[in-house]
Amino acid sequence: MDPFDEVHGWHRLDRRMLLVHPVREVVRFLPVLIGLLLFNRGTEGGYWGLIGVAIPVGLGLLRYVTTSYRLTPGRVEVRNGLLNKRVVSTPLDRVRTVDLSASPIHRALGLVTLRVGTGQSNDKGDGRLDLDGLSVPAAEQLRSRLLRVSGAPDPEVPHEIRRRVVLTLDPSWVRFAPLTSSGVVIAGAALGLLTQGLRTFEWAPTVDEHELQRLGVTVLVLGGLATIVVVLCLLAVVGYVVTNFGFVLSHTAEDGAWHLRRGLFTTRETSLDDARVSGVSIGEPLSLRLAGGARLSAIVTGLSKKQQGSSVLVPPAPRGEVDRVAAEVLGEDGPVGISLVSHGPRARRRRWTRALVPAAAVAVAAAVASYYLTPWFVVVALAALAAGVVLAVDRARALGHALVDGHLVARSGSLNRRREALATGSVIGWNLRSTWFQRRAGLADLVATTAGGRQHVRVLDLPEDDAVALARAAQGGLLEPFLVL
Amino acid sequence: MSAPGPDGAVLRLRAPSERVSPRARLMWITTDTLRGVVIVVFLSFATGPWHWFDLPGWVLWAIAALLLAYAALVPQWRYLVHRWEVTDTAVYTQTGWWARERRIAPMSRVQTVDHREGAVSRLFRLSTVRVTTASSAGALTIEGLDRDRALAIIEDLTRMADSVPGDAT
Repeated sequence: MDPFDEVHGWHRLDRRMLLVHPVREVVRFLPVLIGLLLFNRGTEGGYWGLIGVAIPVGLGLLRYVTTSYRLTPGRVEVRNGLLNKRVVSTPLDRVRTVDLSASPIHRALGLVTLRVGTGQSNDKGDGRLDLDGLSVPAAEQLRSRLLRVSGAPDPEVPHEIRRRVVLTLDPSWVRFAPLTSSGVVIAGAALGLLTQGLRTFEWAPTVDEHELQRLGVTVLVLGGLATIVVVLCLLAVVGYVVTNFGFVLSHTAEDGAWHLRRGLFTTRETSLDDARVSGVSIGEPLSLRLAGGARLSAIVTGLSKKQQGSSVLVPPAPRGEVDRVAAEVLGEDGPVGISLVSHGPRARRRRWTRALVPAAAVAVAAAVASYYLTPWFVVVALAALAAGVVLAVDRARALGHALVDGHLVARSGSLNRRREALATGSVIGWNLRSTWFQRRAGLADLVATTAGGRQHVRVLDLPEDDAVALARAAQGGLLEPFLVL
Repeated sequence: MSAPGPDGAVLRLRAPSERVSPRARLMWITTDTLRGVVIVVFLSFATGPWHWFDLPGWVLWAIAALLLAYAALVPQWRYLVHRWEVTDTAVYTQTGWWARERRIAPMSRVQTVDHREGAVSRLFRLSTVRVTTASSAGALTIEGLDRDRALAIIEDLTRMADSVPGDAT
């Protein structure tokens, strides 16, 4: 068990952290250590090296000694620091999520890092509640106590809580990895780093010019592109496997929370309190949609955009699985399955103008260029127009909304299409926005604001009267004083 | 889907009842003119003495004319749009000029009420009242209120928001 201070209820971190902290500090001081060893190779070098190792080790030990935490009936508190004492304290009913993550060192020692998400915390780390280094049972017990506050407060519940597994990762879903924008971005960044590295070491492949001439430039360019694509795909797949290996989404009824576990090297287990899950967002970017896939994240009250990493529910996966999990999380089939109410011809026309005007501008510029430079620019003009048309059709088809089973459902977008369902009880305000063009067409964007996820759900280009009626149906009473015939 | 109310008639959202202070127009004209002057002076220095880039004289004049027209016309338009209303149950604002935005927040979800005065707005004894909710997309801002009026509104709002229980999420 953890060392336990009986008087004040302060717990220490797990003793095994005595092994982790010093090693980590030494690694952090490594540049200094190397410097010391390189520049003090005289007789005193050994001394300096010893001191250089002793200081980080001492710091690591101090870190263990000075960090402690406690759980009072209303609050969770963490204190640390030797010279600058710091106590972070948060009310238990503000706890939105609990994250357990374990780096490879932690896993080898049977430890985890517990992070409490309160929604109030900023990213600078000031208000962050991190407990780096608890034994797995201690962390799980603490987590269930943190989350149970809103649910049944029975302290004697045996720890083996029944888990209902809702989703486990199917290895074949890796095929969706190259189709996500994040996958491509990660892969692109990795490729960029690689080329940068190659350039730094001034390594260049030798090229046989005769060979080049025989192959022809086109073949070479195509080959190069194909290689890049293959490499990007491989990197995206590796990224998907590293983050999502062993993905399990489960629900525990006793403490009323969703638990999501994943990760190849660093395992991460996130728990979302049921009461804080106010909706879901089904993301279907174009590429993923064409392959029959989608992804799912939760709209968690109090978790801002920056902390969305902890609200993923399903990584890129087949659409059917995503829909099933979404319905389970919401507790209703309606918001996921129902066909949406269309926004009418004026909204569709607006999608067309908004897609075609920029496309036409590009097309005109390309046409002028084709006249003055090379006729090949006609291809660019035609491609721009075709892309505009496809985009317009797809965006017009996406537009829709619904109000079912107490959820406001909205869908829009093409390249980055989203279907969002938000419990009407979690709507904390309405914005009606219309530009001059929209007012002329009698349309408006209805925005339901909320305290989670992207902070709002936007119903795009709704006829003005429908927008008012929808807001009124979703939340009766609020708009009444401001309505006229 | 058309929008019949319970009695079968189509209901529309009306604009909020109160206008901001008429002096707000002067404030907006001042800030827009100042901004225009800064931009034009910067551009003329950049083309003239600093030689960063070349801009024909007529382009500079056209930019100046556009900024002047903006400073003269947009504040009037903005004044026609900017409205607000506070009832026992909700705060309702309308802002913008090209894009009009109406925002409604229930009193029970109000988290903070701020009072702000910029340098220019202080010249005209005007204040900005900003009402925030737990959503970063839902803050309501009323710009160009008479100072005394603003303080009265803030007092009202704080009193009403306090009387509603709950953590406003």
